[in-house]
Amino acid sequence: MPFSDWNGKMSEIKKKIQSFLPGGAWTQLHDTSYLPPEHSDVVIVGGGVMGLSVAYWLKRLEKPRGAIRVLVVERDHTYSQASTVLSVGGIRQQFSVPENIQLSLFSFDFLRNINEYLAVVDDPPLDIQFNPSGYLLLASEKGAAVLESNVRVQRQEGAKVCLMSPEQLRNKFPWINPEGVALASYGMEHEGWFDPWSLLQGLRRKAQSMGVLFCQGEVTRFVSSSSHVETPSGEEVTLKRVHEVHVKIDHSLEYQPVECAIVINAAGAWSGQIAELAGVGKGPPGTLQGTKLPVEPRKRYVYLWNCPQGPGLETPFVIDASGAYFRREGLGNNYLGGCSPTEEEEPDPENLEVDHEFFQDKVWPPLAQRVPAFESLKVRSAWAGYYDYNTFDQNGVVGPHPLVVNMYFATGFSGHGLQQAPAVGRAVAEMVLHGNFQTINLRPFLFNRFHLGEKVQEHNII
Amino acid sequence: MLKIILPTMMLIPLAWLSKYNMIWINTTAYSMLISLISLTYFNQSPDNNLSFSLLFFADSLSAPLLTLTTWLLPLMLMASQHHLSKETLIRKKLYITMLITLQLLLIMTFTSTELIMFYILFEATLMPTLIIITRWGNQTERLNAGLYFLFYTLVGSLPLLIALLWTQNNLGTLHLLVIQFWVQPLPNTWSNTLLWLACMMAFMVKMPLYGLHLWLPKAHVEAPIAGSMVLAAVLLKLGGYGMMRITMLLNPLTNHMAYPFMMLSLWGMIMTSSICLRQTDLKSLIAYSSVSHMALVIMAVLIQSPWSYTGATALMIAHGLTSSLLFCLANSNYERIHSRTMILARGLQMLLPLMAAWWLLASLTNLALPPTINLVGELFVVMASFSWSNITIILLGINITITALYSLFMLITTQRGKLTHHIKNVNPSFTRENSLMALHLLPLLLLSLNPKIILGPIY
Repeated sequence: MPFSDWNGKMSEIKKKIQSFLPGGAWTQLHDTSYLPPEHSDVVIVGGGVMGLSVAYWLKRLEKPRGAIRVLVVERDHTYSQASTVLSVGGIRQQFSVPENIQLSLFSFDFLRNINEYLAVVDDPPLDIQFNPSGYLLLASEKGAAVLESNVRVQRQEGAKVCLMSPEQLRNKFPWINPEGVALASYGMEHEGWFDPWSLLQGLRRKAQSMGVLFCQGEVTRFVSSSSHVETPSGEEVTLKRVHEVHVKIDHSLEYQPVECAIVINAAGAWSGQIAELAGVGKGPPGTLQGTKLPVEPRKRYVYLWNCPQGPGLETPFVIDASGAYFRREGLGNNYLGGCSPTEEEEPDPENLEVDHEFFQDKVWPPLAQRVPAFESLKVRSAWAGYYDYNTFDQNGVVGPHPLVVNMYFATGFSGHGLQQAPAVGRAVAEMVLHGNFQTINLRPFLFNRFHLGEKVQEHNII
Repeated sequence: MLKIILPTMMLIPLAWLSKYNMIWINTTAYSMLISLISLTYFNQSPDNNLSFSLLFFADSLSAPLLTLTTWLLPLMLMASQHHLSKETLIRKKLYITMLITLQLLLIMTFTSTELIMFYILFEATLMPTLIIITRWGNQTERLNAGLYFLFYTLVGSLPLLIALLWTQNNLGTLHLLVIQFWVQPLPNTWSNTLLWLACMMAFMVKMPLYGLHLWLPKAHVEAPIAGSMVLAAVLLKLGGYGMMRITMLLNPLTNHMAYPFMMLSLWGMIMTSSICLRQTDLKSLIAYSSVSHMALVIMAVLIQSPWSYTGATALMIAHGLTSSLLFCLANSNYERIHSRTMILARGLQMLLPLMAAWWLLASLTNLALPPTINLVGELFVVMASFSWSNITIILLGINITITALYSLFMLITTQRGKLTHHIKNVNPSFTRENSLMALHLLPLLLLSLNPKIILGPIY
């Protein structure tokens, strides 16, 4: 009954009136500048190089300027666990899938002309410290035929790769021990390594100048509406549409619902969790409804060592037949390297702690065998980073989800995302703005392939 | 007149006392019945008007506007059902009460006889509109929008109060039916110039005139759908109606005082039409197109010839229905896609063909396709201004071209083209939405069969 707590209600009303009379200490308008806006046309989950690239290209390809409002939501602004900044930073065209080669070629062109693409008025030009030293892939007897066919595909796409025999190897790179190497492919142009942090900062600066909004927070919920439709084959599916993204602020329970039209999942190693939040994969297994996004974080170690007698300045990024790799870092006889563990030895991706035993057991022996100078080296430091590993076929997922119709993916690149980020960003922007891929046809990379079982297997995964 | 005002007032208890599942049905149905009553006012005698009392009367000018206002209330209620569905019952009833209060004040404004009463109600309509914009708008910018809306209109209309009080003291009365016989030519002094400015500025801001139009895109874009509809359809016409009434006091000063405002209107209509071509936000485009159409009305009222008054009246009614229809269409898009950006939702004709038909008809009426009343209004205004000064035909012709350009641009961007992937599962059109569009278009198209009822007092 409304009259039972009359006194209580009256005192509440009196308190309220007193509080907003002048002289009271109550203010209605709090500062909410740390919150994301209440409405954004596109919300990009993940502020690594992939998310920033999509944001940049969306702003660059929109027809009338200032048409789309883009919000990039990044959980950790120090990027302490992001794959982008922990990456070794190489770019190569030596892939087996033609689309990968095209993506890397365009990305190389982007990086070469980065100051034309990412110039901001009154800001200094970017220096990504690009070392165009090329990649050297070594193959044993078993892999020689595959290597040769790969090189043929790469040459067709326009990459400049040459095949070398062991003698040619020894002539060109005297520090190498070509024992066990049957064939080598050496990328002569458009390959090398660069500083991923500068690329990230350059993209961020340019995106900010184009009007992209950044916000620090974690996406905890997608509010969506769904409708049941029947496919031509009679199967009933649920089409979903995300219309609100809840962004939770760090160290607080506060969240902001952002009303949006399109969500882009560029969350890297955590894309699988984001996809699950949106309802991807909730259904009976084997159907399109129940196909999850097969991206999970995999930990990879990178070690930095110093070897005074090591290979010189011309050293390319060497990938041994055993899977171990290294590259020169800087001018002080330092080298970066590592090795992908086999399926059985996969480290636990719970944290980013480094296993130094791994270096002693798995990385050093093959490298020392390949480069005799590496028998005496001193490990300076090591770190670990995540691959956004696509367990299906180790290639990226690009494009919209067939059922959650306004979620686009740009993730799952399993270790070669950084080098393809500019091209993938452009492809996703074209998909959003024009409805199809216009420059590089990434139809094989759509989500559908997980359900249809069409693997785009990439053989040259480090 | 009380036969409309009392039922409208009683709609408020109807809204508060209805059950939760009957509030929309009750209020929509009864407000539609009230609008049928207002149709009886079209039975005007040619030389005078329908005089109901000392306070209210219905002229050939105010009858069409009154009918437009009463017709719009059921349409506003129909349009608001979806976005209010998630609010609590009391909030819904509050919203409906705001709309009905606004309706009441507007009815009284259009039919008032005394200019002071007109002024009071003119200002009073600001309050419910402000509440609707700032409380139920969608985005944080709505606070700014409400501020702009309120203060532009207030500052413009306070001098009007002073001018009206002075005129009342001077003439002895401000009864519209009396002053039309009592008015004498104003001598050309500085104080009369200021009087002219004071009288006209309120309506110039409301129309809005090009230099004072900044509040309109903000208010229209941030308002919820019913707010946008009533702003575009009726509140802007308050300015036109007021100007047409007050200019009878201000002769012959208008002959030379009108020049700057004519220039601003002529230039402004081309400018705002051109801005429409560059707009990315759908509601913003429709808002600027409102400014452009109203600039034509300002021009017509300032020319003060019989044909221009006819054109102004016809244009006001036609624009009211068209603009409101366009806002409803934009809202139906927004409710599905949650974004007002045009390029994010393309190729809708494939998904929602009936809605595409309404879009087509709305764009065609917006660009003044014959034989709609939009064309009748525009044509009369163009002819009157040509006879006032030959050169204006160039500017008006450019404006008509650009209007056609942006209307078709809006149509083609949203309806034609390749369907974007992320709108493939939008809900199909509701019957409520289709009937909303049909109820807007039906009067518009039927009036092209008998436009003389909206051609105003001079016809």
